Amino acid sequence: MSDLRKRGLTTAVICSGPFLKLGQAQARVFGVPDLPLLVIPHPLGGITLDDVRGRADHALPQVLKLIQESAE
Amino acid sequence: MSDLSELLSAPGASVETDADFDAVNAYVMEKGWGDGLPVVPPTEERVAAMLQFCDRPWDQPIAKVAPRWGEATPLRLAANAVMAGCRPEYFPLYMLAIEAMCEEPLNLYGVQATTHLCAPLVIVNGPVAKELKINGGHNAFGPGWQANATIGRAIRLALLNIGGAIPALGDMSTFGSPAKYSYLVAENEAESPWEPLHVERGLPKDASAVTVIGAECLHNVNDHESITAEGILLTIAGTMAVTGSNDVYYAAEPLVIMAPEHAKLVASRFSKAEAKQFLQAHAHIPMGRFSPENIERRLQVTFKDVYLEAPPEEPVYAVKRAEDLLIAVIGGAGKHSAFVPTFGATKSVTRALKTANGELAKSVQDFRR
Repeated sequence: MSDLRKRGLTTAVICSGPFLKLGQAQARVFGVPDLPLLVIPHPLGGITLDDVRGRADHALPQVLKLIQESAE
Repeated sequence: MSDLSELLSAPGASVETDADFDAVNAYVMEKGWGDGLPVVPPTEERVAAMLQFCDRPWDQPIAKVAPRWGEATPLRLAANAVMAGCRPEYFPLYMLAIEAMCEEPLNLYGVQATTHLCAPLVIVNGPVAKELKINGGHNAFGPGWQANATIGRAIRLALLNIGGAIPALGDMSTFGSPAKYSYLVAENEAESPWEPLHVERGLPKDASAVTVIGAECLHNVNDHESITAEGILLTIAGTMAVTGSNDVYYAAEPLVIMAPEHAKLVASRFSKAEAKQFLQAHAHIPMGRFSPENIERRLQVTFKDVYLEAPPEEPVYAVKRAEDLLIAVIGGAGKHSAFVPTFGATKSVTRALKTANGELAKSVQDFRR
C-alpha cells in the first residue's frame, strides 16, 4: 500500500477503531505518514452479512470522498 | 570496530540518569520501556561486558524487528540483554534467536501485531544448550532457570523496545500471554529416542541451533494409562483436534512436545516421521462440529474443493501434511506430552549458530573478543 501511494496512486487503508493507532504507526514506518486511514466501526469479524454490508456502507462515502478530492 | 564510548556518544544512542537502581527503574517505567518488571540498569560497563561475546560490528543491524521494523544492532540488543538479566555468554545465542525470528517465513509482523495470543517460541539444540545450562528437562518452561528465563525475557524486551510491539499499539493481542514474558527452552536431546530437531532439519549433530515457532502456550496431554505407542499417539491426536485453533485454517506447523517417557514408548514402534503420519491421520474432527458460519465462511472458502459439497462427518484435520508437524522431546519424568498450536500464518525457522566468518560455532567462547 505504501509503495502504491509513493507512486502517486489514490490509496487508503480501511480499519476498525482499535487498529487506528497501529495503522498510523505503520504508515509512519513505511514513509507515508499522510496515508488516509478510513475508520469503520469495530468489529469486522463475527458479525452478520447484513452488518458486513453496513460496514461497507460506512466506508463507501469515505472512499468516494477521497477519490473526488484526489481528482480535484 | 568503533569504540563503545564513541558509539554511545551518537545522538539518541544513550541516556543519562542517576545510576541508582530505583532511579533507573523509575525512568524505564516512565518511558514505557520493557515488560513491566524491574530491569537491570544497562550501564556502559554492563553493555561492554555483553558485547565481549559479539564478534560482529556493534552498530550494524543484524535484523529489522517488526512491527516498527526497528534496527536490531548488537549495541541495542546488548542493552536489552543486560536489562533482562542475561549473563554475557548468553549473547551469541540471543542474537541468533533474534535473527531467526526476523526471517520472512516466520511472519514476525503477523505474530507480533495479531489479535491472536502467539509469541515466538525458541527451542535450542546442540552443545551450546548444555554449555549455557538451558533447561530442557523438568520445568523446562519455567520457572527457575536463569538461561531460559533471561534469554527469553531479553527476546521479549527486543520485541517491545526495538520492534515496537507495545500492547494495544503494535501488539494487538486480545489476551496477551504469559509466553510473551519469556518462551525459550532446550530440547532434551539426552533423553530423546529420536534425532534432535536441528538434525532432522539438516544440520550436523554437533552444530548448535535455534528453531523459532510463532506459538501459543503449551496445552498438556495427560496419558497415564496407555501402554502402547498407538495409545499415546491417539491421546495426543485427540488433544490436537479442536475447532477454535488458527492452525485449522492454514497449512500450519503446530508442535507436539513429548516428555521422554511418552517419547520412548512411541519410539518403540514408530520413527519420528511415522509418528507424525499417525498423528496427522488421527487428529481430526468432523466438519459438523464447526459452527455453520465457520463452515460457510472459512472451511468452504479456504478449502472449497474439500468442503463445499461435503457431509457433516467430513474430517477436518488439525495439521494438513504430516511433514509439517513438528515433534520435539522436552521435559522431565511423568506421563505427559503437550500440544502447541501456532498463529497459523507462520512457518518455523531453524538457524545454526555461526561465527562472523560463517563457521559453525562449537562454543560461545568462539564469539569472545
